[in-house]
Amino acid sequence: MAWWKRGVRRDEAVDREIAEHVARLTEDYVAQGMTPEEARRLAWVEFGGREQVKQAVREVHLWAFGEKVGFHFETVLRFLRKAPGFSLAVILTLALGIGANSAIFSAIDAIVLRPLAFPHGDELVRIYQHDSQGRNANTFVAPSRLEDWNRLATTFAGITGYYKDDLSELSGPLPEKVTLGLVAPRFLAVLGVAPVLGRNFVPEEEHWGGPASVLISHAFWLRRFHGDANVLSRKVRLGSTSYAVVGVMPEGFSYPDRDVDMWTPSAPDAPFAQRRDATWFSVIGRMKPGISLNQAKADLATVQQQLGRQYPKPDAELSTSMEPLKATVIGGVGKSLWLLYGSVSLLLLIACSNIAALLLARTTEREQEIAIRFSLGASRRTIVMQLLSEVVGLSLLGGLAAIGVAAAAASGFHLLAERLPRASEVHLNWAVAGYALACAVATAVLCGLYPALRATRVGPANGLAAGSRGQVSARNPLQWVLAGVQVTLAVMLLIGAGLLLRSLDTLGHVDAGFDASHVLTLQVSGSWGETTNMPAVAQRIDRTLDGLRTLPGVEDAATAAMLPGASELYQTEFTIDGKADPARKILADTRWVSSRYFSTMTIPILAGEPCAKASTPPQIMVNRTFANLYLSGGTAIGHMIKAAGHSDFGVNGMVRGVVADAREEGLNEPPAPTVYSCYSAPNPFPNYLIRTKGEPMAMADAIRNRIHVLEPGRSVYAVMPLEQHLSDAFTEDRLRTMLLTVFAMSAVALACIGLYGTLSYLVRRRQREVGVRLALGAMRGQIVGRFLFQGLRVVAIGCTAGLLAAAFLSRFLRGMLFGVSRLDPATYVAVVGVILTVAAMACLVPALRAAFVEPIKVLRED
Amino acid sequence: MAPMEKTDLLQGTLDLLILKVVALGPVHGYGIAQRIRQMSKDVLQVQQGSLYPALHRLEKRGWLAAEWGESENGRQAKFYRLPAKGRKQLASEEQTWNRLAGAVGLILLAEQ
Repeated sequence: MAWWKRGVRRDEAVDREIAEHVARLTEDYVAQGMTPEEARRLAWVEFGGREQVKQAVREVHLWAFGEKVGFHFETVLRFLRKAPGFSLAVILTLALGIGANSAIFSAIDAIVLRPLAFPHGDELVRIYQHDSQGRNANTFVAPSRLEDWNRLATTFAGITGYYKDDLSELSGPLPEKVTLGLVAPRFLAVLGVAPVLGRNFVPEEEHWGGPASVLISHAFWLRRFHGDANVLSRKVRLGSTSYAVVGVMPEGFSYPDRDVDMWTPSAPDAPFAQRRDATWFSVIGRMKPGISLNQAKADLATVQQQLGRQYPKPDAELSTSMEPLKATVIGGVGKSLWLLYGSVSLLLLIACSNIAALLLARTTEREQEIAIRFSLGASRRTIVMQLLSEVVGLSLLGGLAAIGVAAAAASGFHLLAERLPRASEVHLNWAVAGYALACAVATAVLCGLYPALRATRVGPANGLAAGSRGQVSARNPLQWVLAGVQVTLAVMLLIGAGLLLRSLDTLGHVDAGFDASHVLTLQVSGSWGETTNMPAVAQRIDRTLDGLRTLPGVEDAATAAMLPGASELYQTEFTIDGKADPARKILADTRWVSSRYFSTMTIPILAGEPCAKASTPPQIMVNRTFANLYLSGGTAIGHMIKAAGHSDFGVNGMVRGVVADAREEGLNEPPAPTVYSCYSAPNPFPNYLIRTKGEPMAMADAIRNRIHVLEPGRSVYAVMPLEQHLSDAFTEDRLRTMLLTVFAMSAVALACIGLYGTLSYLVRRRQREVGVRLALGAMRGQIVGRFLFQGLRVVAIGCTAGLLAAAFLSRFLRGMLFGVSRLDPATYVAVVGVILTVAAMACLVPALRAAFVEPIKVLRED
Repeated sequence: MAPMEKTDLLQGTLDLLILKVVALGPVHGYGIAQRIRQMSKDVLQVQQGSLYPALHRLEKRGWLAAEWGESENGRQAKFYRLPAKGRKQLASEEQTWNRLAGAVGLILLAEQ
């Protein structure tokens, strides 16, 4: 309101000024002989209406203020009406450019930048244990050790853990597979979340033998109990136990991952939980406020050493590590997102440079209009502000449209939710909207300032004169520089996209070493409780496999602990015939498969025989890489392979045969030395692999029914063809490549528009020169050639710069390329070819138009 | 004295005259009106109604600088003076005016 007070003060000042003026006039008249009263009256009459004068003065100031607001608004509207095509093009370009940018920014904001949806999420860490002997490489922790850590570590407010089990919930009409999260005490306390209905577990329930209770997820509550408010009196039946529902978790809470339907305590004092070499829990801890990660690491290391002294086996051989929970949740997606953000920003820059070039052209056309404004008394600042306000107006409109584009993209992200962690948290919010508008204003100033300043550089006289005669030779180096920059950026993006596309293509042609078509995969629910009687589990699974093989349409069936296509997390060390190799560690992947695995997967057996179902000593198969590396002297068959160390799940057996290499790690990894342990039941719910005669999914129902007959009370889930499972591993790559390709094509389109616009403008400015040349006898072909040459010269420079930049920047793609070098010549050459062709066409049109002007018409135009 | 025929002044021309008068030395609004009348030998009489809006507009543009001071009769008055920007503006407008006047003169001198 300061301006209001200023207005009042100014009014008073004007009053005084006027009064002073009138007083003098009065004095003059009195000096001429009038009476004071008459003089005064005449003076006022002569002066004119005081109020009118004050009003006029007020308007002068209002005019100055209004120039900043209302006038600008009017200007924008006028501009829109006069040049609707141009305005629309600019608005659309900005809407797409800023919209895409805001969309990626919103994803980055939600996924990477914002803390986890737990209170003080930065205090949460994942804790791992490591076997320093390298024997057992999983990082899960025994319950007794977890309790020790919680008790002894001083830098933590609490430590807890979880593991999952898949069970059948039997209280409904059909057995339904549910995922149960088994959690250590303090689970909700550490995460900082409370049930939205009901209560947390009480200590009674966290002890062995206590009442069986579950907390159910919000989704499960809606799905199974239809949001019944009386759910707290209901029970669920898992296996042979009934669990009482004691609470419902808030919507969106599904730790550790989306499929968890319910949680139940895992009692630390259970008899089978006392072994210190058990590996059950994934551990999370919450650091005390103000504690740094390094402090916590040091603290836990000390605690573990203390435990090592207390329990030499196995604690003395264990070490700990930890990382922030957020890092584990995001995974590698952050890198992809930043790459995308970089690309989208490049695109926006290209769009901006286009708009700047178009604005330059436009303001040059308006030189006459600007000169008239100057002569009417406008200051340079006013005109620049006016021109700028037109651009800002367009940009703001573009920014508003961009917000719409970003909103649509946000819902697009939700669709990708399965592939993208935290994707459901991507929302349009004020931060994103503000970012979009800030982008709009920034691009406006960036694009509009230089053209506005340049157009008002000339004085009014020059402008008026120049406008009428027309300049014969207009040099616009800046516009060409802009066009060249666009070509450079387009080349860079196109090369990136080309390399990624070739990678994907190469991946598609890799020989996997096995035939993934016609194989159906599925899982049958089991529970960790069955591990007390593994031979029974093996019998059950073998019976199921036999039953499946008798189905018409099924050629073969097998089980495997892990499906091919997923990377094994670790390698195990082995001894051969009881001896370790002094020169190097014998490391290999371990895979537990049933005996018919190789025939189901069509992996050829190179030597020996496939292992029998159950035999003493247990039989194992090795792959060719293993045999070449470690068993190269003489025949491989007959050696005793034993996993080093004394883990319960260690592989131990006699080599029965050698199989061909298979890329089970994933198509983009070379085959690793692998030891196959022939055991159909490594855990109660292995993956089933079923080779079908026809389409895998067509057999799904028949197989489901057969399993229901063989194993009633168990549910069948995760049914999908093996090919789909393998290709899913590359979804993120495909997505990334597709997006980059879209960007690259947009960049090329924009570069072409830029070239076309700049050359068109040049042609128009030089019309008189062309007319003169034609009249003097030049050939039309020559004219076309000259303009074309000018355009292509810029394209060539831009291309070269782009190639160099791409060669330098392609290092950032290194992790994502497969089978193609980052400096692959074929791709680079192809891109140059494409750009040259497209750019030549873009330049050809205005060049042709230049040559086909009527010289007489042009010369007469003066 | 009898009021002469008031000659209409274009707004642009008024600005020019004001600037010229103020160039001769700091002066208040009334003084400007008097000077214009005197120097033009009573041909040009500024309308008070247009004088003050013009003065404020020129001040807003930065071509005139103003401050309150004591006038010769002891009362407070607002004095206008010409800053560097105004001097430049005056030179430019003088040049334009001369060109325009010269051009008009040429036409008027042309024989039939």
